[in-house]
Amino acid sequence: MNHEEQLIRYAANQLNESEHVDFEKHLAGCASCQADLILWKSLANEVIASDSAVPAPVHLVDSALEVIHAPSKLTRAFKSTAQLLRMQLLLMHNELWFGSAALMFIFLAMALLVARVEVLHFFVPMIAAGTVTLIYGSEHDPAAELTFATPISPWKILLARLTLVSAYNVFLALCATVGLLLILPPQALGELILGWLAPMTFLSALALLLSLWIGTSNALFISYTLWAAQYLAWTSIGEWFAFLSPWLESYRQFWNDPVLLFLLGFALILFALWSAGHEQVQWHRSVVL
Amino acid sequence: MRTDLALPWQTQATMKQPVDDLDLIRRMQAGDDNAVRDLYAQYGQRLYAYALRLTNDPATAEDLTQSTLVTAWRTARNFRGEGRLIAWLLGIVHHAAMKSLRGITNYLDEVAEETVSEDQPSPEEQAQVRDERRWVRQGIQSLSPEHRAVLDLIFYQGLSLNEAAQVLNIPVGTVKSRLSYARDHLRGVLTRTEER
Repeated sequence: MNHEEQLIRYAANQLNESEHVDFEKHLAGCASCQADLILWKSLANEVIASDSAVPAPVHLVDSALEVIHAPSKLTRAFKSTAQLLRMQLLLMHNELWFGSAALMFIFLAMALLVARVEVLHFFVPMIAAGTVTLIYGSEHDPAAELTFATPISPWKILLARLTLVSAYNVFLALCATVGLLLILPPQALGELILGWLAPMTFLSALALLLSLWIGTSNALFISYTLWAAQYLAWTSIGEWFAFLSPWLESYRQFWNDPVLLFLLGFALILFALWSAGHEQVQWHRSVVL
Repeated sequence: MRTDLALPWQTQATMKQPVDDLDLIRRMQAGDDNAVRDLYAQYGQRLYAYALRLTNDPATAEDLTQSTLVTAWRTARNFRGEGRLIAWLLGIVHHAAMKSLRGITNYLDEVAEETVSEDQPSPEEQAQVRDERRWVRQGIQSLSPEHRAVLDLIFYQGLSLNEAAQVLNIPVGTVKSRLSYARDHLRGVLTRTEER
């Protein structure tokens, strides 16, 4: 151990008895160490004096305990999400819930009467697309001004409403599908669900995005037309529609490709959420203004 | 003859019944709120003083001390009793302080350097311009947080060079070189003062 290190430990009172005695012997004959010791003691005295002059605030331990016992981030996030969903549930039109349930019941009854599952496959995506066009914007929200004045981002409000309506639509569609088991074997359940789930996702996402951009009426017209076009027998309308046949086949395949429909559907939802915070892309609102 | 430096927290500890470090940790692991209160009573002053020494800002020092208590509570199981509890706690303060100081360290240093070299004392202060203690204080304040930390750990907290190195997460050689730098810096400040 060199003298400089010993000097520091001496100034800090960290030498043991024998080291202390030995170093004092050295110190007595070393002018350089004596000069440095004055400096180190000045430093040490000042550090001790200034540190001792600042009493630690007594309230810190209580505030630390408050933080310790505060709910975790996950719990807080869960609570705020539940609160947002509950708030949006109260703000949305009640007719939306009753209307879609009534329509679903009617089309289930129709499917059972004619014993055709295609009835449900055709109408379930349309019901879902119709309801999502009614969830956002001043056209359908009586408390729109209040909603947009809150610090919650528009995309979070839209996502909360979309989650509520989509969950409800899936629930209704599942109930209707279970109802179809009256005329079909239980083994067909999975295939029945897949028959409407992917088209419902894509058509709803498309209708939602269009409703944000060009308004509910236009969104409904375009999305329903695109959906229904695959079912039309175009050649029976006129022979000159024959040139559409190869293209129509690809178009029908598109609506029967669940992976593609899910991917595009989620992409459109992300685009719709982004659009919610950008009024400049919501053309129908600009026109109204 | 021992040097006459007396650490206030050592005096206080002799007046009160000292709390066993491992017992404190065990109680925190068991979820005993009073363990945090005892920990603060035992070490709060030293933690706050260290945080203030690093940041020069009472509000930030309070935040750091509070977050250290919270971190100690949440990570009590990580303390294995291989070193002293105070060294572990000071390491938490130091890590948090360096995170919060990142980005403003240069600014603080520049301000402090200017304070020492350019600051002209007021007429009242000119009467005390030879007051060595005042210049020592300013000399310490003009050091970077890293250098102030080493001085505090050795002289106020009573840590050994090895313990200081562990708290700062640096080699012992770097602790020594920082001490030498602090001494030379202070010597320079005092020399400039005497020349005025």
